[in-house]
Amino acid sequence: MSGRGNVATLLVLQLQPIAVDTNSPDREGMLVIANGLLVAVLVRLAEPEHDNVGSWFLEAGFGRLQGQRVPTFPTLEDACRWLRRQLKPL
Amino acid sequence: MQQALRRKLESFEPLSDSARWALNRLVLKVRQVAARQDLIREGDKPENVLLILDGFAYRYKVLPDGQRQIMALLVPGDFCDLNVFILDQMDHAIGTISACQVVDIPRQAIDEIARDHADIARAFWWCSLVDGAVLREWLVNIGGRLPPQRIAHLLCELLMRLEAVGRVTDNSYAFPLTQTQIADMMGLSDVHVNRTLRDLRAQGLIRLKRRVLTILDVERLQAFCDFTPNYLHLRNTRWGERRDLSWPGTAQEG
Repeated sequence: MSGRGNVATLLVLQLQPIAVDTNSPDREGMLVIANGLLVAVLVRLAEPEHDNVGSWFLEAGFGRLQGQRVPTFPTLEDACRWLRRQLKPL
Repeated sequence: MQQALRRKLESFEPLSDSARWALNRLVLKVRQVAARQDLIREGDKPENVLLILDGFAYRYKVLPDGQRQIMALLVPGDFCDLNVFILDQMDHAIGTISACQVVDIPRQAIDEIARDHADIARAFWWCSLVDGAVLREWLVNIGGRLPPQRIAHLLCELLMRLEAVGRVTDNSYAFPLTQTQIADMMGLSDVHVNRTLRDLRAQGLIRLKRRVLTILDVERLQAFCDFTPNYLHLRNTRWGERRDLSWPGTAQEG
């Protein structure tokens, strides 16, 4: 991506369901693909002892998202909004 | 409560009666501090040496994006940095985790007691050296161990440190830390801390109930995280006996 012009700032996010082994009941996951590249794996918290059961956790991030520690997201839409902000061309 | 300091120093060095008496005079003005309060902030000019007599406190730093890193836990008997008053300003903050009993010791009193009592001066040195050793071990922990071992290591360390100041009963101790605080200490997310504690419980290694942590199988938990207590330099570890021999002044202590 050149990072110049309107075309380059278009970010297409695709979500693809995937089961994830987290060594816990949190299994329901989503691959997040941005313009064809895998950028993140989100996992829905199911373990009853979590503070925010049902919310989405950034299980793994790649590229610019690697190592990010963020609070969980109440919905997938919230997660995607945050991901878009992070992936915005600099 | 005043015993915490004496017990801690004596876990490093045997103290004379006059040294014990002098220590009691050091901890006269005890104040109560509620949980989640800052004792001193980054940028403050340190005037006194703070001593925790009861409760848990922690050293921390907050990054511009709001991310907090906890660099040390302070338990009863711990000084919040013995020589900090030499520095112009605090490069980090210290806050309470649970309600604490805190003593503010004027720098002059520290200077005087260390000058008048060689055994206390040496025990103070031990405190500073062990603080450094613990910090090194925390670096190894965060940089080198996997999350489950990392948290297990913290629990093993707390068992020994709290035992040295008489705060452990049947391998159980007060555990006021929240999952977020553990996460900020270990460089993990709350979610990973939650999963790890759950896993340690499922393995029958720990029990966490009403803010009391019980280590159900100390040997197994220590083996699980390869815990070696040498860095705590406590006399009740097997390294302690070896050390006593190298200090002629303490040879008669046995």
